[in-house]
Amino acid sequence: MELQAVVMAAGGGSRMMDLTYSIPKPLLPIGNKPLIWYPLSLLERVGFEEVIVITTKEAQKEVQKLLLTETKLKPDIVCVQEDADMGTADALRHIQQKIKTDVLVVSCDLITDAALHEVVDLFRVHNATLSMLMSKAHEFTETVPGQKGKKKAGEQRDFVGVDDSGKRLLFMANEADLDEDLVIRKSIMRRHPRMHIKTGLVDAHLYCLKRSVIDFLAENKSISSIRGELVPCLVRKQFSKFSSLQKNKEEPNQNMKKKDANTNSENHIASADDDLLELALNRSCWNDHRGDMCGAYHGGKLRCYVHIMEEGMCYRVNTLAAYIEANRLASKLFEEPAIHPSAVISERSVVGSDSIIGTYCQIAEKASVKRSTIGASTTIKEKAKITNSIIMNGVTIEEGCNIQGSVICSHATICRGADIKYCLVGNSQRVELAPRTTEEIVPLPFTDPALIYASF
Amino acid sequence: MAGRVGKPSRSSGGPGGSGRKGGEQEEEEQPLQAVLVADSFNRRFFPISKDQPRALLPLANVAMIDYTLEFLTSTGVQETFVFCCWMSNKIKEHLLKSKWCRPTSPNVVRIITSDLYRSLGDVLRDVDAKALVRSDFILVYGDVVSNIDVTQALQEHRSYPALSRQRRKAEKNISVMTMIFKQSSPGHKSRCEEDDIIVAMDSKTKRVLHYQRTQGLKKLQFPMNIFHSVSDEFEIRYDLLDCHISICSPQVAELFTDNFDYQTRNDFVRGILVNEEILGNQIHLYVTMDGYGARVSNLLMYDAVSSDMVRRWIYPLTPEANFTDRKGQECTHSRHNVYRGAGVSLGHGSHMAENVLIGRDTSIGANCHISNSVIGSNCTIGDNVVLDRAYVWNGVHIASGAVIRQSVLCDGVKVKERVTLNRQWLCLQVVVGPDISLPEGTVVSMHHPDEEDEEDEDEFLSDGADNSSNQAKTKLKAFSAAEVGAEGKGYIWRPVKQDDTEDDELVQCLWGLVLNDQNSESESEVSEDSNDLDSRGMSPELDDVKVFQTEVLGTLQRGMEENISCDNLVLEINSLKYAYNITLKEVMQVLMRVVLEFPFQQQGPQLAAVQYCALLLRLLKKWAPVFRNYVKRAPDQMDCLESLEEFFLEHETHWGAMVKVLMELYQLDILEEELIMRWFSDGVTSAKSRQLRKNPGLLKFIQWLEEAEDESSEEDGQ
Repeated sequence: MELQAVVMAAGGGSRMMDLTYSIPKPLLPIGNKPLIWYPLSLLERVGFEEVIVITTKEAQKEVQKLLLTETKLKPDIVCVQEDADMGTADALRHIQQKIKTDVLVVSCDLITDAALHEVVDLFRVHNATLSMLMSKAHEFTETVPGQKGKKKAGEQRDFVGVDDSGKRLLFMANEADLDEDLVIRKSIMRRHPRMHIKTGLVDAHLYCLKRSVIDFLAENKSISSIRGELVPCLVRKQFSKFSSLQKNKEEPNQNMKKKDANTNSENHIASADDDLLELALNRSCWNDHRGDMCGAYHGGKLRCYVHIMEEGMCYRVNTLAAYIEANRLASKLFEEPAIHPSAVISERSVVGSDSIIGTYCQIAEKASVKRSTIGASTTIKEKAKITNSIIMNGVTIEEGCNIQGSVICSHATICRGADIKYCLVGNSQRVELAPRTTEEIVPLPFTDPALIYASF
Repeated sequence: MAGRVGKPSRSSGGPGGSGRKGGEQEEEEQPLQAVLVADSFNRRFFPISKDQPRALLPLANVAMIDYTLEFLTSTGVQETFVFCCWMSNKIKEHLLKSKWCRPTSPNVVRIITSDLYRSLGDVLRDVDAKALVRSDFILVYGDVVSNIDVTQALQEHRSYPALSRQRRKAEKNISVMTMIFKQSSPGHKSRCEEDDIIVAMDSKTKRVLHYQRTQGLKKLQFPMNIFHSVSDEFEIRYDLLDCHISICSPQVAELFTDNFDYQTRNDFVRGILVNEEILGNQIHLYVTMDGYGARVSNLLMYDAVSSDMVRRWIYPLTPEANFTDRKGQECTHSRHNVYRGAGVSLGHGSHMAENVLIGRDTSIGANCHISNSVIGSNCTIGDNVVLDRAYVWNGVHIASGAVIRQSVLCDGVKVKERVTLNRQWLCLQVVVGPDISLPEGTVVSMHHPDEEDEEDEDEFLSDGADNSSNQAKTKLKAFSAAEVGAEGKGYIWRPVKQDDTEDDELVQCLWGLVLNDQNSESESEVSEDSNDLDSRGMSPELDDVKVFQTEVLGTLQRGMEENISCDNLVLEINSLKYAYNITLKEVMQVLMRVVLEFPFQQQGPQLAAVQYCALLLRLLKKWAPVFRNYVKRAPDQMDCLESLEEFFLEHETHWGAMVKVLMELYQLDILEEELIMRWFSDGVTSAKSRQLRKNPGLLKFIQWLEEAEDESSEEDGQ
């Protein structure tokens, strides 16, 4: 076993609380599949047989069920407490005992058709400490419920610096952390004289990490998040102690003496097969750079790489906008028929080919469903019109409803004649009273506090 | 001379207003012009540049300006303005004799001389004043050696303004300059240490966002605002060598006129980039991968470019091409890059290993070993001489047994028997030896170094200084036999001159200026990195605050003397605030501190508390509007009080004055009672500050405040 797969599924989905307050994030339906199914199937596709899933108690059973029914992966589910405020790195530290080899860490909210081997190949070829996946950022086109106007542009950008080949990760910082200047050390520039700084990238949160990084984590308890702290730290360390490395070789005992972070980060690459690798590097004429006469990698042992997807699909479902977008595109990712055979669809209804209809759905006469996802056991009655919407499980949509660009959570009931545009209807809500509601109308009177977010 | 130049090249252009219109349409057909600055305005080649302008120094036996002109001509320039300052007569004479001034020359060379040029800025201001350029032009120095075809770059340059013309209404961005760079990785021989630059650019538009010399820097800082443009891809390039060739729009000359403080191109580029958002002027870059371009800006570059020339990197500019078309310059090229001029005689057993260029009528004795060297014409070299990386100019005599490595021997130098030279630089007519070896890195000249100091300062900026008046004096001083040998003639220039300006430091370094030892640098980085993990926040520059404080003090002093109004003081302090990048909080603290210290500054530190108090109160009254301008919100007042406390903690003897100050500030409505109370009760930081609060005067004041408050609240109650 070369790599152990770890799926991080304990996040709360804090950026889309409207959805996740009732359903745990890993179980959010996307194209009638739970969110976590996508990274799991990605792993399964590339040949993983086992997987460690870190999740919360809340979602544990469902995830277990899913793993047994939908995938052939041999699961190992680790529960963490949701309120313990654990970061991804903390979670990795938590399962340190289970990790025997290098790891592939995937977040449960990743939906991608990326060729995973590209990332792993970088990891192998360069004997990298870290390799990760990034993608060009997507523009979300759909109108998002509850968001007025356009998305604000003032978001914090990530600055990612790569070398001329576009693979080696040289620099990483978030705009928020940079004060007035972006500071780069000259020594980095001397080794990699042409640095491309990209800002329009999203991190897919898929990382290959060396086993030794886990040990490093175990000794540096202050690091709590992979993306926020560990990765930037590794990227920076690539160029730090250049010469202390040599020292390390001279006195192998040093490891025990020093316990500070610096030596550790160097130790973790001084594995047994390193001598052989070094010999190979010395004897070959291969080099990772051109220009100066230094050896490959300039003698650095800590190397971070990134694979940047130029095209293809790569979404992180961590916001409502991404959720809606992912639903729209999800149908492209699996081969199953869009309309489940058990669904009962009246012949006189219109169901667009770009829609997904779940199990035991009932769609009555003259209903029309376009560009939408309909969850299991949902009933759509006569003359209801559904466009561009996501309907979860067990929803009842009564006669003559008109639903557009909305998200209707499980077991909600939309009463006769309701006209809903760009709304989010919460779990088990009942949208009563059916005057024609146009975009300008104030939220409908509810039996419960309003759980409808309109973008009027 | 220049007046003649201004005549329109198209005689077909109609008279009057219609001619102007036609001119705009035919802009594309304008002949390409170039501005060649045949003066370096520095003294990197001092003292040789004392006798010969830099543009005429021979590089591979051809004057440097000829390379520049050849480059311009081959790239399609049809009209070149040569601006000369130092020794303009020599340059003029040289050019008039050259092929450039023949009637058949495709490139019309016009020489403009003036002793008043002190910098590139002066030259370009003159270009503007004389309205010499009509469209985009190429700006080069007289010591640029290049074979780059700038046609491509020129096209790109012309396309930039055109692009923005479409969007002119939205943004008035105009490209004023395209700088040409050669790609060469760090560590490349022809990378000039002085021009060690870092460029941040927009990947898509090739726009320069940041341009900085990095010499001596360890950390490169890029202001964040350069990344705020629409683009999402940037490049930071450290693999560029500045060729010192730039394509300029005619606006460049105007901009130099508008900004009289621009002296060098560096000033200009910085000015444009800083004011980019305001003025909308942009600078682009063009990177050539295969062309060659370098400026011979110092001795190391001279070495690098010469050897590149002999090794044929600048093809088609090669020694045997004889592009200057001068008689006697012809030479033949044979294996291992050995070039021989006409009439070269080589003694028995002499060996020309590789990369050797020998000029006309030079004779070499027996058993010599010559490699990587350039030898001029009419030289005589004795037996058993070893030359390696030696640049020997014309008419040099080297006697038998001499060993010369990495040295420059100028015209007419005589090296006597068995002299060893390593990293030397012998100027005109110098004689050394016999049997001597000079310390590394020395310069020998017929000019006495002291002569230099005696001369007036105003010629400092030019290539050299007029020395005719000092000839007599020179002869009076005897040559030191210990320094230059028994038969030697010449004075040793001290390798290091401490008192010189920063610029000249490099001159003295000469050959000693080797590429930085990279190991030492990375070692020093280790310590820097050791606590890299957590402490990422960089400490702000404390010095700025200090400088700001002295500036504020100066401003206030002036305000006192010249009775400047408070509004203007605020204005000045604000501009200082921006200049030193000071936060509002710091302004407040500094201001408070400065005002409190003001009486001490005026009257000396022994000032008694009573006098201090009287002086201070007067000041506070006077500057109350200034305070009111800065101290507005509650936190401001707290900051103010804190710095007040800090000051008085340092001046224990003056605690008595503190109450008066507080009272005054309270009465001037700068501080509110509520905040004074809060400060009094909460602001305790140390034992001493507690002690301060026990000061009877202060207690009384507080009590008074409390009572006043009670009263007022009672009044409210009623």
